[in-house]
Amino acid sequence: MKAISYKTRVSRVLFAGAIGVTALSGAIIAGENEFGPVGQIKVDAKKAELGKRLFFDRRLSGDAALSCASCHQPDKAFTDGLALSKAYPGSKGFRNTPTLMNTATRKNWFHDGRLGTNLNDVTREMITEDYIMNMDMRLMQERLKQDPVYVKMFKDAGYGEPSNGSVRKAIPEYLKTLTSRNSPFDKGEMSESAKRGFALFKGKAQCASCHTGANFTNDKAYNMGVPENPEIWSDPMRHMTYAAFGVFMGIENILNLRRDVGAHVLTHKADGSDIGKFTTPSLRELKYTGPYMHNGTFKSLFEVVSFYNQGGGQDKNKDATIKPLNLTFGEQQDLVAFLEALSGDVLNTKEHAWKDEIPTNYTAIKNWRAAKN
Amino acid sequence: MKLKMKISALLAGLLVSAAAVGMAHSGSNVPPLAPLGDPPIPLDNKQSDAKIKLGKMLFWDPRLGGDASTGCVTCHEPDQGWAFSDSLSRGYPGTVHWRNSQTVINSAYLGKQFWTGSASSNESQAKSAATGAVAGNGESDVMEMRLAFIPEYRDLFKKSFGTEYPLIADAWKAIASFERTLIHNNTPLDKYLRGDKKALTPQQVRGMSLFNGKAGCIACHNGALATDEKYYNLGVPPAERWEDDGLAQITFRYEQYAKGVTQKMYRKIKDDAGLYYRNKEKADMGKFRTPPLRYTKYTAPYMHNGSFWDLKEVVEFYNAGGGSNDFTDGTMAKNKSPLIKPLGLSEKEVDDLVAFLDAFSGEELVIEAPKLPNYAPLPPPASN
Ligand code: HEC
Ligand code: HEC
Ligand code: HEC
Ligand code: HEC
Repeated sequence: MKAISYKTRVSRVLFAGAIGVTALSGAIIAGENEFGPVGQIKVDAKKAELGKRLFFDRRLSGDAALSCASCHQPDKAFTDGLALSKAYPGSKGFRNTPTLMNTATRKNWFHDGRLGTNLNDVTREMITEDYIMNMDMRLMQERLKQDPVYVKMFKDAGYGEPSNGSVRKAIPEYLKTLTSRNSPFDKGEMSESAKRGFALFKGKAQCASCHTGANFTNDKAYNMGVPENPEIWSDPMRHMTYAAFGVFMGIENILNLRRDVGAHVLTHKADGSDIGKFTTPSLRELKYTGPYMHNGTFKSLFEVVSFYNQGGGQDKNKDATIKPLNLTFGEQQDLVAFLEALSGDVLNTKEHAWKDEIPTNYTAIKNWRAAKN
Repeated sequence: MKLKMKISALLAGLLVSAAAVGMAHSGSNVPPLAPLGDPPIPLDNKQSDAKIKLGKMLFWDPRLGGDASTGCVTCHEPDQGWAFSDSLSRGYPGTVHWRNSQTVINSAYLGKQFWTGSASSNESQAKSAATGAVAGNGESDVMEMRLAFIPEYRDLFKKSFGTEYPLIADAWKAIASFERTLIHNNTPLDKYLRGDKKALTPQQVRGMSLFNGKAGCIACHNGALATDEKYYNLGVPPAERWEDDGLAQITFRYEQYAKGVTQKMYRKIKDDAGLYYRNKEKADMGKFRTPPLRYTKYTAPYMHNGSFWDLKEVVEFYNAGGGSNDFTDGTMAKNKSPLIKPLGLSEKEVDDLVAFLDAFSGEELVIEAPKLPNYAPLPPPASN
């Protein structure tokens, strides 16, 4: 790992405080009014517009192969439709790409919750992480300075000249615009089945003890006994990508493990009782975000609901509250109908997706010798 | 016209005496050209067959780089003089390098590697090459983990270093061991200096006297390696690509940023300041390490930014008294080496010297590319 801060995973030192806080409070069943619409977040339009272009620009990755949108695709509510994500060339992903809808409302980020600070740090992590975009941000800055469109956009946004610091501000500003809207649930237009599902969700099925609030998550991590995705261990490129990540996160004996340790990367409990905990995801836009769970193990929402119905999976550290639910087939269908009613507009128009062509090469600065660098 | 002639004649006169002084000086103080022996082998990295075999594979293996596309061999191609045949080397995908790729042939002898001597051994050089953003752009822990998933490499690392899983530091050692086999020390010049008087043509012998005498090359290109491993500014002109190639402009600025020059300097600088980046001494601006001269027949273009495409251009550059750049003309500094002055060589002498430079190169070194092993799933752990 490079010792410079422009291209290094610094997250290990950043989240500690935030995690301490979330770990304290126990799960509470939320009241009905807890589930209101997400609401739009106020943004600076010019900064968000700049962030949008950056989000769709492949030149932000080391070899200019991937943009944020390569993995976080607007048509799929900013996921990629794969069980395990793509990765920077030479690596292969070991986690499911999470939706970015409402990500600005989260308290921590990534399936293991390893970053608990802010989206500015998350953005840096994505850009510099070797298996995601593998970019030296200093080189990125110079690429941006070479594009007259950016020079103008950064200036108009009040950032002065392009810099890696303002990239880390502009992209989060854009991410704030990605909020859920117009779901049948928010509009009060749910089917009868979905309404019954909502009642189960809050009652008998006890889903709301974790999936609560406007974004249907309490941002805490639990062990649900979700089975391992065997492809991570049978595909050497996925396995090595995970193992390199694990080494960096300080996981011992990594090459003898055949599991994704999850939130153990931050809590590092000596007895390993935190192995296999993952952060509760949002339940919004699920229609577009399958496959599900941190490793894409389940293809359909019905599979997820059956998984809960049977009391989750097998794991010695499984959360004690996860028990068989004894739901009928019809009840399970109702629950699925409710989950689907939490999906709203697909934000794939010009308002949220950059549609103009972004150049892939760079024009020379004229009269270079006289120009100020 | 006449006046001008007179002045240059005068200059030439001055020069002759300067050169004579230089010669007397170099004659007594600098080591003469000598046949090249074997490269030094560090005590902590002895050669072994397994290691050399492994190092050769790793030299070819693009998985020792960020996106698994760019290995050492990508920029050090055996049929391009184990260098890259363009003024500025190709870079990591999406970039261009900012300097000319140097040959790895005989790099084993150098205690100062790279154009500014920033690495002290093949081992440390390999590491910076594989991780630099415009070269390999790899992360050590990722590359190390890739090696662990290649069964043939696990075996060869174990044989070479005794470890269960490959360590990235050992990869650099193995590459260094391989590079210590890329030796070019049986050139016509080596043969001649060992006593085979027929190894050089009469023209080359005349060129050698110029090299050692009137042309003053020996002042810097001396000893068995034909380099003093010191740093000079010859006034090599700036790379043309910086003027008209957007990608090159990006890398140029990136290098200023990455090498930590002041904000003021970053804004202003338009040429490669060489040794300056290492010590931030104004007096070292535009200085580059004297390169060795063996194998140069195959390594065109020449100089740190590939300004010259053949050896005759190089000799003509010296004959004209070198050139000028921002670090010689006072724009940034005035550091031109006082050893670089017009030489007053006749056309015939220029040809003789060029012919002699040819004697630094023997047969082209070609070897077969190794077959690279594949990834395989890791066997299940003994106990889990
Ligand atoms: C190669 C695919 C890929 C690319 C490119 C990529 N991401 Fe991600 N992103 C992921 C994956 C996979 C995760 C989950 C990682 C984990 O849990 O360890 C993720 C997680 C995130 C999260 C956290 C979401 C949450 O709710 O926890 C945010 C925010 C994010 N990415 C934003 C971005 C931005 C901004 C960019 C561009 C700068 C980007 N991503 C580029 C694959 C990608
Ligand atoms: C104890 C807390 C908890 C409870 C109770 C709970 N969940 Fe979850 N839920 C989680 C966690 C944690 C995950 C992520 C697990 C993983 O990725 O391995 C998750 C994942 C999901 C997902 C997948 C979302 C995605 O984007 O991949 C769905 C759907 C889901 N839960 C629905 C439900 C339903 C329906 C119920 C009630 C039957 C329920 N959950 C009860 C914590 C909980
Ligand atoms: C993207 C192109 C590129 C790649 C990849 C690359 N090199 Fe180089 N190499 C260069 C350039 C350009 C230089 C001169 C750079 C400088 O001085 O700043 C160089 C210099 C060297 C030198 C110094 C020779 C001397 O005379 O001092 C050695 C040795 C070398 N490279 C070996 C390697 C090895 C080993 C690898 C693989 C681990 C490698 N290179 C990968 C382009 C590359
Ligand atoms: C003052 C020291 C000095 C003297 C005298 C000198 N050189 Fe050099 N030579 C250098 C340096 C330093 C470089 C690299 C300069 C650069 O790249 O900016 C170089 C580069 C070269 C190169 C290019 C090698 C390559 O791999 O790119 C050749 C060929 C060469 N010199 C030949 C000669 C000849 C012939 C003479 C005599 C006419 C001579 N040199 C005199 C220091 C010297």
